[in-house]
Amino acid sequence: MSQIRELLDCFKKVATCPGKIVREYREKTGKGAVGCFPVYTPEEIPHAAGMLPVGMWGGETTLRLAPSALPSFACSIMQSITELQLQGVYDSLVAVIVSSPCDTLKAMGQKWRRQVPCIQFAHSRNTKIDAAADYTRREYQSIRARLEAACATTISDEAIQTSVRIYNEHRQVMREFSGLAASHPDLVNPIDRHMVMKSAFFMRKENHTVLVKALNGLLAKAAKKPWEGVKIIVSGIMLEPVSVLEVFKQNQIAVVGDDLAQESRQYRVDAPEGADPLDSLARQWLSMYGCSLIPDPEKSRFSLLRSLVEQRGADGIVLCVMKFCEPEEFDYPPMKAYMEKNGINLLQIEIDQQIQSVEQIRTRIQSFAEILRAQRARRASIAQL
Amino acid sequence: MYTLGIDIGSASSKAVILADGLRPVAGQAIQAGTGSSGPKQAVERALDEAKLTLSDIAASVATGYGRFTCELTDRQVSEISCHARGVSHQLPSARLVIDIGGQDAKVIRLDAQGAVWQFLMNEKCAAGTGRFLEVMSRVLEISLREMGAYHDRSSRPAAVSSTCTVFAESEVISLLAAGAAKPDIIAGIHRSVAVKVCGLASRVGWEDDIAMSGGVARNQGVVKALEAELGRPIKITPEPQLAGALGAALYAFDQYQSKNKTGG
Ligand code: SF4
Repeated sequence: MSQIRELLDCFKKVATCPGKIVREYREKTGKGAVGCFPVYTPEEIPHAAGMLPVGMWGGETTLRLAPSALPSFACSIMQSITELQLQGVYDSLVAVIVSSPCDTLKAMGQKWRRQVPCIQFAHSRNTKIDAAADYTRREYQSIRARLEAACATTISDEAIQTSVRIYNEHRQVMREFSGLAASHPDLVNPIDRHMVMKSAFFMRKENHTVLVKALNGLLAKAAKKPWEGVKIIVSGIMLEPVSVLEVFKQNQIAVVGDDLAQESRQYRVDAPEGADPLDSLARQWLSMYGCSLIPDPEKSRFSLLRSLVEQRGADGIVLCVMKFCEPEEFDYPPMKAYMEKNGINLLQIEIDQQIQSVEQIRTRIQSFAEILRAQRARRASIAQL
Repeated sequence: MYTLGIDIGSASSKAVILADGLRPVAGQAIQAGTGSSGPKQAVERALDEAKLTLSDIAASVATGYGRFTCELTDRQVSEISCHARGVSHQLPSARLVIDIGGQDAKVIRLDAQGAVWQFLMNEKCAAGTGRFLEVMSRVLEISLREMGAYHDRSSRPAAVSSTCTVFAESEVISLLAAGAAKPDIIAGIHRSVAVKVCGLASRVGWEDDIAMSGGVARNQGVVKALEAELGRPIKITPEPQLAGALGAALYAFDQYQSKNKTGG
């Protein structure tokens, strides 16, 4: 038990002090860090250059400078990133890579005002035709070339191939962790779970894999205890600030699975291994599914969530809609209709990185937990009859 | 056997004492909310009304915005559950509950058993809440109590926006400056609240009986505007402001019963 706690604290330390981690990495290896914007940035390429790819998912900050670059209706996460950028927080990075899956991200390259080189690229929007793989591969090739210039190094095919293998293994280990955390809500609370996921953005993946494997080993051996609270699946872009997760914890809500862009979505699909590593990465993009940012006429996200609810025995879903995130907001009405039709409880909350108080969210989450508990009690009393 | 429900809102505090989980024996509302002496006063007055002391209370539950600050009990239930329970107890056929309180507006959809199925609350702005009406009553120099009567005298409700309290306030000031009649402005304000709440209601959906609780339900103007927007009659609980506290007292009764069952 205490070993599990020690490991969990270790992840928390990494997730909460990214600046220190980047500094230490630079001192130890003489190499720098490359900022990777959300989502689906092919981290394997900077990783193959020996860099530390770090995830840029904003953070809690007050907007003073961002309004000079972004309109007030840009999503909360890009507001934070812009604010931090303009404050100079990212100045020590070697480069940043920006993907373009939504209208806000598309404009972020233009909004980059610092000296650090900004490498913007676009995934193919159509993922069903062969030309899509060629197109995406060419975009990745361009990232490689621009990164080579920024890092003054060459990035070989072999190095990317090794990185692809490391990332595939990491994805596998993270999927296992998600399942094990779901079986041990008494040992891994919602904040711990988030910290394990988030710390992956600030460590070389081979090192993160070692730590998560150790944690998984301990969890696999730990006795399973019945959980008196409720179990939920969370969906959306991300679930922060921690004060919101704290509310989950206080209400005895276990997160038994997620479909968050910052967490499990990125671990859903492995890159097929092959002779051409950039082609492998492009094909990985083509096989991704179940995400508001990937064109998907079947909206497989909904059925995927439904099976996750069933597999993990969850009582409901909390949809965490990033404030002013259009792709997620567009998904809400059909998702609500789908869940209603399938008798799955769904609560929507708004995620705002500039949030000052969680009181409204507290009431919503507590009420939702009460509804789920009452339903469970009703089901149990019917079963007794 | 008596149970106590305390509803600590942003603008007022309410207390209800229930005998045997069925019969309310006292109900008090004080116009002072969380962080004030309101909660204590409401409980003291309710105990006086029922001729009881705190030691006669077998179980109690706090609800409302200030529920976690209540020193009289360590059990809290959300205002969504409490309002739904309080309304359902008095109007068992209700399937949609509209509650407009001091700083938020809630719509709660109930299932066939009267249990909460879905709910929505207003976003951060005070538009569509009691606070919105208070601001307007100050600008118009007409008390909240009189607003319902003014509403009835309107022939042409003015247009007042429903998205932002501050914008709406400046609109009302402009209307006054332009010489618009106060009854028309008030009817416009009520319609603005109704439009906001109707927006929430349409997101959870409604088809059957609609009930309303919360202090604002005493304003007939708002009720009429809501009925016009929803196209249906609305039933008001007997003492709408006390519905949340009543629900809390019912939850306290459940707690008492389950404690006695388990012997804990
Ligand atoms: S949160 Fe939504 S709108 Fe913002 S960058 Fe991500 S996908 Fe785009």
